[in-house]
Amino acid sequence: MSNTKDFIVEQLKQRIIDFKSEIKEQTVGKVIKIGDGIAQISGLSDVMMSEMLEFTVNEGTNSNKSEKVYGVALNLEEDSVGAVILGDFFNIKEGDEVKSLKRILEVPVGNSVIGRVVNPLGRPLDGKGEIAADKFYPIEKIAPGVITRESVSEPVQTGIKAIDAMIPIGRGQRELIIGDRQIGKTAITIDAIISQKGQNMKCVYVAIGQKASKVAGIVAKLEEHGAMEYTTIVLAGASDPAPLSYVAPYSGVAIAEYFMDQGEDVLIVYDDLSKHAVAYREISLLLRRPPGREAYPGDVFYLHSRLLERSCKLNKEHGGGSITALPIIETQAGDVSAYIPTNVISITDGQIYLEPDLFYQGNRPAVNAGLSVSRVGSAAQIKAMKKVAGKMRLEAAQYRELAAFAQFGSDLDEETKSKLERGKRLVEIFKQDQYKTVPVASQVLIFFSVTSGLLDNVPVEKISEFENGLNKYAENNAQDILKDIEEKGELNEKLEEGMKKLVEDYKSTVDYLEKDISTAL
Amino acid sequence: MKITAKQYAKSLYQAVQGKDNSQIKDAINNFFNILIQNNDMAKAEEIVVEFEKVWNIEYEIIEAEVVSAKELDKNIVKLLNDYIVKLSGAKKVLLKQKIDKNILGGVVIKYEDKILDGSLRTKMEALKINMIK
Repeated sequence: MSNTKDFIVEQLKQRIIDFKSEIKEQTVGKVIKIGDGIAQISGLSDVMMSEMLEFTVNEGTNSNKSEKVYGVALNLEEDSVGAVILGDFFNIKEGDEVKSLKRILEVPVGNSVIGRVVNPLGRPLDGKGEIAADKFYPIEKIAPGVITRESVSEPVQTGIKAIDAMIPIGRGQRELIIGDRQIGKTAITIDAIISQKGQNMKCVYVAIGQKASKVAGIVAKLEEHGAMEYTTIVLAGASDPAPLSYVAPYSGVAIAEYFMDQGEDVLIVYDDLSKHAVAYREISLLLRRPPGREAYPGDVFYLHSRLLERSCKLNKEHGGGSITALPIIETQAGDVSAYIPTNVISITDGQIYLEPDLFYQGNRPAVNAGLSVSRVGSAAQIKAMKKVAGKMRLEAAQYRELAAFAQFGSDLDEETKSKLERGKRLVEIFKQDQYKTVPVASQVLIFFSVTSGLLDNVPVEKISEFENGLNKYAENNAQDILKDIEEKGELNEKLEEGMKKLVEDYKSTVDYLEKDISTAL
Repeated sequence: MKITAKQYAKSLYQAVQGKDNSQIKDAINNFFNILIQNNDMAKAEEIVVEFEKVWNIEYEIIEAEVVSAKELDKNIVKLLNDYIVKLSGAKKVLLKQKIDKNILGGVVIKYEDKILDGSLRTKMEALKINMIK
């Protein structure tokens, strides 16, 4: 017993002797003004732009306990430095000492952040202990250049039928999700994350200015579906100061960049960038930068463009990793022509436009087929999907116009009638419950059935029931067909025959079919 | 245009440079007349502070502060003075002493916006962090 004690003491002594602290010259400044999370600092003559600053805060007047709060220098002026404070600024007083740390803000990256909920500085918020990361990435980095990139060629399977068929997303793409509040923008991204299970993807979900309760709900849902195994959540809550919200997406993308540098594919969700712009506006106005349109500062475009530019697809020589970004923008009363929405629309490679009318009609996800586009994704669709879903976006968009027109008269020719019937079934197929993602093979099967007219004698109100039944039937009786589609990614005549037979077989087991197609039309 | 205290201080420095005492008196009188004319008397105190800074920069004089736990020996103060002169490259150092029991031991040197923290407390804290690791 005493032996071990001596041993420990000896070890401790050795450690203390070995420990040498170096005295380094440090640049310090003094807080001359503090308020609203913004500090004006004198001194700090050699501070860099967006350098990290350390505020030493003394707790109480008598105690010599001190605490460190970090900040970022954002305004370098002739005789003062404007800085934002990342964290609690209530204890910082005028005259407090500020040290510059000679490095720009960094976050811990690596496998140890997977499955964690962290704040924008990389501190854990989930109570699962410290994050043991040996690597740190700076949050601001210039996006990869042209030479390191290649065009988008692989699909991201979101598992949402309407998106995978009509507005496909490729790995390395930036696809904006835009719409009013409460119509399922977050739901789409959460489904997309859940659907990445087994797809060799890492996911990062950045919550900017979100309610803590909402994020807690999301974490619980992801855990329930086993999606936290490959997901990191970066949270800047609604009660956190604006500087944290401002930093959050950059931290998220830094975490993602680490995985991309390892040659992995990453899906990152920014929920949402309108709150990010608002946080930046708050900081800019407090720093007395001149306001521009809608009181946003002049560089609000660069704010988002430099963030979204960092999502990319690297070529083989550079590891072949990718970052796919799904930024979210919340519009006010459907106003897409406001400042921030137009900015982000022009930066991204397409948008998914969600419409309240569709949502309240029960078409969920409420994707507007006409206004949503994907500028690069179709190059990344698997061939089978391209074949069956090629014209679906057009058909779905045409159906909506036709349906509006057909309301006025019942005297329609056969062709229009059949188009309407087909359209109704399409709309029905695109309806999908939350957290119920559909694998590609099943998607191909159901799209094949509808485009080849096999569903024309299934009553519209029975479509979803039929689809569920068909999926189960296929899983039990025709696994080889599903497997073939998934592995080959291509359709040949034999496979098409097989699918046709499968659907017909299943149809013979149900009893709600319309007998005569012509009466249905 | 508004004239800042710094600008006043700089021009005052130029006005009095290389002049004998009586000339300086005149220059200062003139300076005050200008201040009154411009309705800037409120800035007088600020100008004094700025003037000291301008003077110190021009003559390469820096103010420094040494914080220690106990009263320092004269020899040590002299050594520190020389050390700071070497560090900063200034011609003259105006050294102030301050006693702070909280730093436990060692010295903390502050000059301009630089700080050299050689205190025992900082070392102990660094040791603590190192030990926890």
